[in-house]
Amino acid sequence: MNPYNDDVKTLEQKARAVRRHIIRLNANSPAGGHTGADLSQVELLTALYFRILNVAPDRLDDEERDIYIQSKGHAVGCYYCVLAEAGFIPVDWLSTYQHPNSHLPGHPVKQKTPGVELNTGALGHGFPVAVGLALAAKKNNSRRRIFLVTGDGELAEGSNWEAALAAAHYGLDNLVIINDKNNLQLAGATRDIMNTDPLAEKWLAFGMAVTECNGNDMASVVSAIEGLTAVGKPNVIIAHTTKGAGISFIQGRPEWHHRVPKGEEIELALEELKDE
Amino acid sequence: MSNAEHLATVMVDAFIDAVDRGIDLVPVVADSTSTAKIAPFIKRFPDRLVNVGIAEQSLVGMAAGLALGGKVAVTCNAAPFLISRANEQIKVDICYNNTNVKLFGLNAGASYGPLASTHHSIDDISVMRGFGNIQILAPSSPRECRQMIDYALAFEGPVYIRMDGKALPELYDENYRFVPGAVNLLREDGDVALVVLGSTVHEAVDAATLLADSGVLAKVISVPSIRPCDTAALARHLAGCKVVITVEEHNVNGGLGSLVAEVLAEQAMGIRLKRLGIPDGEYAAAADRGFMRRYHGLDAQGIAETALALR
Repeated sequence: MNPYNDDVKTLEQKARAVRRHIIRLNANSPAGGHTGADLSQVELLTALYFRILNVAPDRLDDEERDIYIQSKGHAVGCYYCVLAEAGFIPVDWLSTYQHPNSHLPGHPVKQKTPGVELNTGALGHGFPVAVGLALAAKKNNSRRRIFLVTGDGELAEGSNWEAALAAAHYGLDNLVIINDKNNLQLAGATRDIMNTDPLAEKWLAFGMAVTECNGNDMASVVSAIEGLTAVGKPNVIIAHTTKGAGISFIQGRPEWHHRVPKGEEIELALEELKDE
Repeated sequence: MSNAEHLATVMVDAFIDAVDRGIDLVPVVADSTSTAKIAPFIKRFPDRLVNVGIAEQSLVGMAAGLALGGKVAVTCNAAPFLISRANEQIKVDICYNNTNVKLFGLNAGASYGPLASTHHSIDDISVMRGFGNIQILAPSSPRECRQMIDYALAFEGPVYIRMDGKALPELYDENYRFVPGAVNLLREDGDVALVVLGSTVHEAVDAATLLADSGVLAKVISVPSIRPCDTAALARHLAGCKVVITVEEHNVNGGLGSLVAEVLAEQAMGIRLKRLGIPDGEYAAAADRGFMRRYHGLDAQGIAETALALR
C-alpha cells in the first residue's frame, strides 16, 4: 500500500510544497526547464505518490510494487520534486536540476535517479512499455498496477495508438493511462497544431474505460483514480489541466512550455504558493 | 558437413527447450508467426506468445515492458521492419533502458531477395553498432545459432541476433563452442584473409577452395560476434597478410567491413582492405540469392576474383 495514504487536504498542502520546489528547481536550472508542463501535472503525481501508488523508497525492487511511468519526460521537474517530497531522493538534489552530470538530468534517467522506473524523453514511448509491464503483471498473476501520464500533444505519436490497440486487445484493466490534457504544446494550442479532440470518443472507440476529471483539483483527481472499476478494459483518465497551473502569470501561457522563472518572478510565484 | 537447417527452426527449438529449463521466456511477434516458424512453440505453450499485430513500435516497446516485468522477452519478426520502423524503440526502450530483451532480426540481409529493398536489411549492423550497449551476433550455422541463442537467453541485457533467412549447412562439429567476442579461424594459412559473418561465411569457405585450386592460400576468419568482439585476436590473425577482404550481405558502410577497417587503421597495420558488400550508394539487387551475390561479387567466385586481382 501507499506509505502516506494522505487525505485530500494534506495532498493539497503537499501539492503547494511541490509547486514551490518546481519554481526553485527551474529557477536554479542552468539549461531552462519545462515549468508550464511541470505545473500542470502536480495534482496527478502528488495524488499518485502520496495516496494511490503501492510504492515506497525502501522497497524499490519490490516485484509487487506499482509502477509509475512519466511518458511526458520533459515534465521531469515535477517528477523530481514529487520524488524528493516523497523521500525517494534528497531534497537538496533539486538545486542540481540539469547541472552537469547531476542526479537530475533534463529527462528521467533511472540509472541516475532512484525511483525513476523508465528513461523517457522521446515522446510516445511510455505507453507501449506500460502495456508490456501490465501484460507481464497479468501473466505473473500479480496485483500490481501500471500508471502512465502522457501529455496531450504527445498523443500525436502513432506509437500510442499501436499500444492502445494492444492494451484493449489484451484486456489490461491493471493499466491506468492519465492524459494530462493542458491543451498546449511547444508551438501553441494542441487543437491548432494537431487536434486530438474529441479525445474521450477516441479512447472509447479503442475499447478503453474512460473517466474525466479536473486534473488540477485534488478531490476530483483522487475521486477519478479511486473510482476506477473497469474489468477487462484498460482505464483512461482524461485530466483536464491548465499548463502552468497554480501561478497566475504562468498558467495558460504557451511561452512557459520551455521557460523558467527569473528575478522577481521567483518571489512572486512563491508568494502565491504560501500555505494558507 | 551438411544437414542444412533454417535458423528460425533452430531458434524455435531453443525457445521450447528454454521454457522447459524454466526460463520465463515470452516471444513477441508482429503478425510474424510464419516468419518465425513458431507454430511448434505455440502448440507446446498456447498462452505464452504475444502477438501485437503489424505494429513494430508496439512490438519493441511492449517487449521492453515485459522484460521490466520480469520476463525474458524475445522479439521475432523480419529484420528490416524491426530495425527501421522501431529504431527509436530499440534505441530508447531496449538500449538506453538496458532491458533484458533479445531482438531476433529474421530474414536479415537480402534474404527476401526479389521482394526488393523494403524487405532487405542491409543496414542493421551499422544501426546497432551506433547504439552503445546492445550485443550484436550473427550466426553462420545451425550449431552456432543454437549456442548463441542459449548464451543470449542466459545473458542479462539487450542482444540483437542477425538471422539469415535461408537454410544454412553446418560448418562446425560437435566440439564447437560459441564464445562471445571470439573470432573463428576456419582456414588457417594464407596471405589473403577473408573476413566474414553470417551466411557469407559459406561463400568464403568455397572461395578459399577456388583460390587453392589457383595456388593461392586464403585464411577464412568468421566474426560471429560483432559486439563484443575480440579485436586483438582479429588483428593477430590479420597480421602478415597482404590483403584483407571483408564479405557481408550488408552495406559496406558501418558493418563488418567498417569494423575491420577500424582494427587495421587503429593498429596501424598497413594492410590493403577491400570491403565487399552492397556498395556505397546502392541497394541490394532485387533477385534470388544466387543472382544477387553474383551481381555484387559476394559469391565464392566473385570473392576469389577479387582476391586474385588484389593479391
